Amino acid sequence: MKHIWLLPLVVAAGMGLSVEAGLLGPLGEEVGHGWAVLGIFALGSLLLTFGLIFGRPRLALMFAQPRWLLTGGILGPIYVAALTLATPVVGVGLTMVGILFGQVAASLVIDHFGWLGSAKRAVDGHRVGALIAILLALWLIH
Amino acid sequence: MLLLMILLVVLSGATLCAQSAINGRLGSHVGVLESAWLTFTLGAMLSFLYAFLFEPHHAFTLFSVPRWQITGAFFGVVYMLVIVFAIPRIGTAAATVAVISGQLLMSLLIDHFGWLGNTVIRLNGARYAAMALLAVALVLIYRSNTRLRRENAGPCMDM
Repeated sequence: MKHIWLLPLVVAAGMGLSVEAGLLGPLGEEVGHGWAVLGIFALGSLLLTFGLIFGRPRLALMFAQPRWLLTGGILGPIYVAALTLATPVVGVGLTMVGILFGQVAASLVIDHFGWLGSAKRAVDGHRVGALIAILLALWLIH
Repeated sequence: MLLLMILLVVLSGATLCAQSAINGRLGSHVGVLESAWLTFTLGAMLSFLYAFLFEPHHAFTLFSVPRWQITGAFFGVVYMLVIVFAIPRIGTAAATVAVISGQLLMSLLIDHFGWLGNTVIRLNGARYAAMALLAVALVLIYRSNTRLRRENAGPCMDM
């Protein structure tokens, strides 16, 4: 792998996700969970709007897509709201392991039924093993 | 309350998975920056509506807390840029495992030291054992991803 130097950068980016969650929990307690979620999305939206204005936006193309492809934006706030609600109660570690569990479980289900336009695929033994290990870890941390 | 919250985060992980599957498809048609912009902008609109209509009054507002507390969004945007840059170069499987490792490690450190104003939850025997199990899970996810790559992209766990 000739780009091995990228690995620490990607690890750091992953750490940033936990820092984001660690910032959100206390912020939500102070200003209200709804406003904390808004803080994340409003700042992110402003930054990306800058990026788009100075890039070559293909927004017209986006609104030519089937509408269900645009629903990712409705699901995003659910995840951020869960972060701000859960971290003050269960801690950042348990929150992150719980999210990982949900992701792996959902990836198995989506694969199995071929939802969201993915190819239908038999249940993958490695992922089932990973799911069991994460479940045990979840139980140990809790 | 505790179990309810665990259920909530597991469900939101599943939501995140569906979201990244949908956004992945959208991104391949219209571009990654565009699909991220849509996510953040729709998210801002919805959370504003919610907060404006339903959030009770608090002693602090987004404008009166210390500025560092509202910098969370930068980490999300930087994460996205790094991932977009790294995946074609180191591959999805390695990137996925690197992200999750960083995420889990940092979350346990934040708990242990109570950084950023969080409650202190010390590392103990159970948490170290959990880390070992999570390492096993990561190896399995890596192997599952490298195997899938030969067929085609799986949803969600390849972000």
